[in-house]
Amino acid sequence: MSSQVAAWSRSFDMLIIVIGAFLVWAVTHINFLLLGGDWDFFIDWKDRQYWILITPIVSIMMAAAFQAIFWNMFRLPIGATASALLILIGVWIVRYHSWQGMAFFPISLVVPATCLLGAIALDCILVLTRSWVLTGVFGGALFGLMFFPANWIYLAPYFQPVEHMGQLTSIADLIGYTFPRSGTPEYIRIIERGTLRTFQDSAMWVSAFFSAFVCIFVYVIFWNISVAACGTKYIPVGSRFKEMFGSRNLPKGTE
Amino acid sequence: MMGVPYLKQTLLAALTLMVVFTGLAPVAVQAHGERATEPYIRTRTVHWYDLSWSTDKLQVNGTVTVKGRFRLLSDWPDAVSKPDLVFLSNGSPGAVLTRVESYINDMPAQQSARNLEIGRDYDFKIVMKGRVPGKWHLHPVLNVHGAGQIVGPGSWVTVEGSAADFKEPVTTLHGTKIEDLQTFGVARVQLVQLGFGIIAIVWLLWWLRRPLIVSRWLALQAGREDLLITRADDKLAAATLVLVLLIVIIGYTQTVKEFPQLVPLQSGSVYTPPLPESPQQVQVKLIRAEYDVPGRSMRITAEVSNNASKPVRIGEFTTAGLRFINKKLDVAVAAVSPKFPKELVPASGLVLDSDKPLLPGETRTMKIDSSDAAWELERLVSFLSNVDSRMGGLLFFYDSDGKRLISEVYGPIIPVFKAIKS
Repeated sequence: MSSQVAAWSRSFDMLIIVIGAFLVWAVTHINFLLLGGDWDFFIDWKDRQYWILITPIVSIMMAAAFQAIFWNMFRLPIGATASALLILIGVWIVRYHSWQGMAFFPISLVVPATCLLGAIALDCILVLTRSWVLTGVFGGALFGLMFFPANWIYLAPYFQPVEHMGQLTSIADLIGYTFPRSGTPEYIRIIERGTLRTFQDSAMWVSAFFSAFVCIFVYVIFWNISVAACGTKYIPVGSRFKEMFGSRNLPKGTE
Repeated sequence: MMGVPYLKQTLLAALTLMVVFTGLAPVAVQAHGERATEPYIRTRTVHWYDLSWSTDKLQVNGTVTVKGRFRLLSDWPDAVSKPDLVFLSNGSPGAVLTRVESYINDMPAQQSARNLEIGRDYDFKIVMKGRVPGKWHLHPVLNVHGAGQIVGPGSWVTVEGSAADFKEPVTTLHGTKIEDLQTFGVARVQLVQLGFGIIAIVWLLWWLRRPLIVSRWLALQAGREDLLITRADDKLAAATLVLVLLIVIIGYTQTVKEFPQLVPLQSGSVYTPPLPESPQQVQVKLIRAEYDVPGRSMRITAEVSNNASKPVRIGEFTTAGLRFINKKLDVAVAAVSPKFPKELVPASGLVLDSDKPLLPGETRTMKIDSSDAAWELERLVSFLSNVDSRMGGLLFFYDSDGKRLISEVYGPIIPVFKAIKS
């Protein structure tokens, strides 16, 4: 490869990085909004069951999908990390621009969680094992398992007890109550409604292990969907379609 | 391409500017759907009355109390979920006011209330605190599970001062003083996530600094995977994995030590019995209700029986937050506070075919007309598009001592499309 071609190739790389970053961000963000939404929007939705269960399961979908694309086509182990990092950046922009700027919600009400450390681990395990199966088993499990303890480092303070109107409540609940969301009444929250509650008050670890288990399968599914999508080489277009849009049989001089 | 020079560039620049200007500048949300709910919900579910707002002007950190009562109408529509689980809230454009306290029948309403009884009355009180300066419309709202928001009458409240002065301090049960709930914990979240982000960026740059797309694809096609993942890459991946695991383990154990006593999110619902039921001393049986479309008038014909011990007169008809007042009855006029939103008290008032008092034991057919453009302004005239075209409301009767007696009136409503010839 000549130096000029190498330079062009590098320019092409930069172009693809920028476009690809927006694509990864947008797809990951939309996927998460549709499937994980409220559990990440609000601090008083981050319960010990569904938040811990749903967030990693939804996040690993795009992490696995982009990891498969970058790995299979370019042997780049960056898909999961890029997916988690870009959605985190996007989420913070939205928190300030829309949630605070448009609806006057304080940032404390809408602090996001992240699967970033799990995503980095996922990429690292892919490099070390060179195997999507092993990455799915170990990395997927780690992705789900690490979500709760990694986020607890900064979210734990929101669960300190306070008294309000003669009732015990957490700071997270109090923030949710104090800053009203007209369209999100209290009862719409799904707080620990389920059976993942053995081991006394360690419901979060039961959820984390179950999440880890589910993440393995979700990883495998989305990796393979992505691989199948990458295998599509072209979409055949018939001659009639081409004629309809003028790419065939055009009069001379009009092309 | 022939035509206007630089057309594409100009269009592209204009599009870019449009995106930048509309996208970067946040615009505050003003609407809160007070008139968007269908009329059959607003006229036949929750009827708010005796509402008051303690002030219409407050400073940042000052409070306004909204209180009153609501009746859950007996003719609750089948298409609307029953009030088995409700949450008392407020309607305002975002968190411009904060909620300090809220009560249903003096029971704290921080959580949802269950099993409210149809046909019964409840007291409520909401204390709000000024946060963002501006003029805001403040409504009580009853969220009904499965039905959504049922918005009560709104009043304009002006918040003055500077938003920067707003503070929401709280002290935890461990004695830790939190200066402001708005910002609590945010710096810690951002600092830790920034740390995570730096590790991620280092990882990405490690790979992105090399020739990427074309070069790697060609190498991969040539079967030279060994050129793409090196020993150094393996070492970095192993080191990063260990680093990440250490951060999680050490970070979590330190956090547990730092906050040994935490509580989970509090959920669950509370039950509060309704207010004591007062005997229905005036019975109202709807004979016919019409909505005169060109005349913007609701005409009710009802058979009214007075079972009370004193003569009564109709003072007010209220539905969907509108209050039609019989201006010939002083006690009814006096019941409307000067501070009550004027747009919700139609100037034309309530017109009766006879203002003669209904004597004890007497039953009489009465015609009650409420005409005003407010029916349209409040978007209450789409009876035709409802799944069951019925109306509902409360009639306030006053006896000779000025005591108020409340009766429900409800039944089918027929639209009248031509002006009625007198």
